[in-house]
Amino acid sequence: MMFVRNDCKVFRFCKSKCHKNFKKKRNPRKTRWTKAFRKAAGKELTVDNSLEFEKRRNIPVKYKRDLWNKTVETMKKVEAIKHKRQAQFIMNRLKKGKELEKAEAVNEVKKNIHLIKAPHARQAKQLEEKMVQKLADDVEMKD
Amino acid sequence: MGKSKQVGNHKSDKKKNIAKTWKTKRRTKDLDQIHADMLPANAAKLLQQEVDYDVTGCAQHYCLHCARYFVNLKTLKEHFKTKVHKKRLKQLREEPYTQAEAERAAGMGSYVPPRSVEVHTQQVEEHMDSTEAPA
Repeated sequence: MMFVRNDCKVFRFCKSKCHKNFKKKRNPRKTRWTKAFRKAAGKELTVDNSLEFEKRRNIPVKYKRDLWNKTVETMKKVEAIKHKRQAQFIMNRLKKGKELEKAEAVNEVKKNIHLIKAPHARQAKQLEEKMVQKLADDVEMKD
Repeated sequence: MGKSKQVGNHKSDKKKNIAKTWKTKRRTKDLDQIHADMLPANAAKLLQQEVDYDVTGCAQHYCLHCARYFVNLKTLKEHFKTKVHKKRLKQLREEPYTQAEAERAAGMGSYVPPRSVEVHTQQVEEHMDSTEAPA
């Protein structure tokens, strides 16, 4: 899909969804599902050496069978490393949420600790108070 | 920033046929085009245009950032105070999105976050002198 603006600038789209969103003048950095959003918002790995291999270089390279074979081999390796690093980045990012969750849970327990005291814990104290009162009453009666 | 309070949902013509506003026939300038317009050389040309009777206000009162012509200086000044204009300024404060950035986002090279650009409403007073001369 292609759109040519009236100043001759050419825009190419991967699918009609992207084209439609372009027509609505949506900002790719603000649209949640785009790669641009995910990178701009720090959801994915942005700066890494493994990302530097794939690029538009615009330099013609003369075909050599040896070079071709080596390149294909390395591409596979680079891809594997890249996937690992990207996954690791996301796992590290999610760790923070778990920490926060834990802190939140501890805080909640601290706040509502009175709700989870054992039911019998209070009984002993109540009995003691009752006994003390009874004794006091007895003393009063004797007097 | 929360969603702005909507005023007048029924009377505005803009909402009647929203698909029409997206037609290429009615396409307005994109943000990157406006960024190009904001370059001093282009801006000077746009702000001091020749009298053109086909354009609103004879093309004498132009808002650079909204790419809009106004009838007179008063309406232009009123426009600078509106939400539409302020919102546009805010959108322009970010570097325009480019093909290079799209490629970097897709995994071709490391992603560089967009830089912020300083954008202010155009100066009106000196503009006023130039508009009074031909009139």
